Amino acid sequence: MNFTSIGIPALDEQLGGGIQKGSTVLVMGTPGSGTEFFAKQFASAGQEAVTYFTSTERDEDVLGVMREYGWRTDLKIVNVGTKYYESVLAKKLEVSRFRQEGITLGDIRRFRNEDSAKEENFLTFLSYEISKLAPPFRVVINSLDFFLENYESPEVLMAMRTIKAHTQHSESVTLMTMLKGVHDSRIQSSIEDLADVILELEHDKQGSEFKKFIIVQKVRNRPVMVGIIPTTFDKTGIKLG
Amino acid sequence: MPLKTGERDRCATGLEGLDTILYGGIPRSNTVLLTGSCGTGKTSLALEFLIHGAQKGENSLFVSVTENSEKLLANIIPYKFFDKSLIKSGRLVFVDLPIMYERLGMTKAELSMEEIDLLVAAISDLVTELGTKRLVIDSITSVCYKLKTSEKIRDFILKLGKSLSDLNCTTILVGEVSAESTSYSSFGVEEAIADGIVLMANMERRGDLLRTLQVIKMRGTMHSRAKYVLDLTPMGVLLVPLLKGGSTA
Repeated sequence: MNFTSIGIPALDEQLGGGIQKGSTVLVMGTPGSGTEFFAKQFASAGQEAVTYFTSTERDEDVLGVMREYGWRTDLKIVNVGTKYYESVLAKKLEVSRFRQEGITLGDIRRFRNEDSAKEENFLTFLSYEISKLAPPFRVVINSLDFFLENYESPEVLMAMRTIKAHTQHSESVTLMTMLKGVHDSRIQSSIEDLADVILELEHDKQGSEFKKFIIVQKVRNRPVMVGIIPTTFDKTGIKLG
Repeated sequence: MPLKTGERDRCATGLEGLDTILYGGIPRSNTVLLTGSCGTGKTSLALEFLIHGAQKGENSLFVSVTENSEKLLANIIPYKFFDKSLIKSGRLVFVDLPIMYERLGMTKAELSMEEIDLLVAAISDLVTELGTKRLVIDSITSVCYKLKTSEKIRDFILKLGKSLSDLNCTTILVGEVSAESTSYSSFGVEEAIADGIVLMANMERRGDLLRTLQVIKMRGTMHSRAKYVLDLTPMGVLLVPLLKGGSTA
């Protein structure tokens, strides 16, 4: 079988050698459950070139964690969050200034086409960036929530299907994170449906401490792998048992 | 010699025939709807109104909605009296409304009531900044497409008219109607709130397509309501009364 690592060696073992090349992995959890951290550990593994799309963190936050755990830092970070700020939020700020203070002839004269207030479609941007990657690649999308908040569900689903197909075809791997229970159940089910592997991170308060688990919810064509695995965190990252 | 009625200051259009019809010009600070189907000469007439104003030292502003103003300038009729220095000196200014939409973030297909107020304020601010005495918006119909409902159109034109009138600016709103239309405006609202309506049309006569002009209404002055034949020449717009007798039209 043609496997690649998910980032946690013990979990690879549990999964019978890792995840199959060509897989799309969905990691879900409630806020604070460690999905972002999992995404970074995933990025640290494998032989593939890593592209890390983030909508919530600064580049140095991602690299800081990678360094702290002694993981690879040669990943390409595409910061959708910064791009979103620059092209949408900054323009919104500018628009509010014009609305408040009015426009002068100079403001009109200085206008260039790239000042257009029309928003760039970040979903298209994401698909396009992934389509350009040379296989085999390892992609992290942290998180789907950004796209689900800003675009219509069918659009997001279509983009994810495209990305999944491209991942499959090029024998690469893609991991996406998504908050659990915040999106409507139809879109959540559709995304779960297209993922080849679904992991759910959970923590449970037992007495005075949290018990953490990885729930292996789905492994395509290998239902026997499904199960609940207790986990701990230490200075090397996520560990099983 | 045009007759002066005395009560209101006039904004002489500089188009001789039209000033005669209006007994001296458009009553200053009126908002006039210049309406007609395509190819009837609305934009040319409006431009001439501005050029004459600029030449007399009145700051003039052309707000282009549909056409890029650079393109418009390239296609301008080679008027003998048109002098490019009017643009350099800032007497005659061209502005594209779509850029104002962009600046104000009005990229949605329909403007909200709040955005209408903002747009009126932005245009008025520009008129204040430039000291504009003559304004043309070409076309108001295109703006109306972004307003959609007749309530919003009414609101927009009333507020714009009021604001420009307070700034002592004489305004021509260019309106587009289809040739078959029985109304003077596409949305039927613009005509009711404008201070004046000038109708331009095509008329076929003995195999010729004539351009005609008729002042339907003008608050603040007496005016002829007769139909005139209009000729666009490098010397400007020429108007002659339409001969009624003897033809088959």
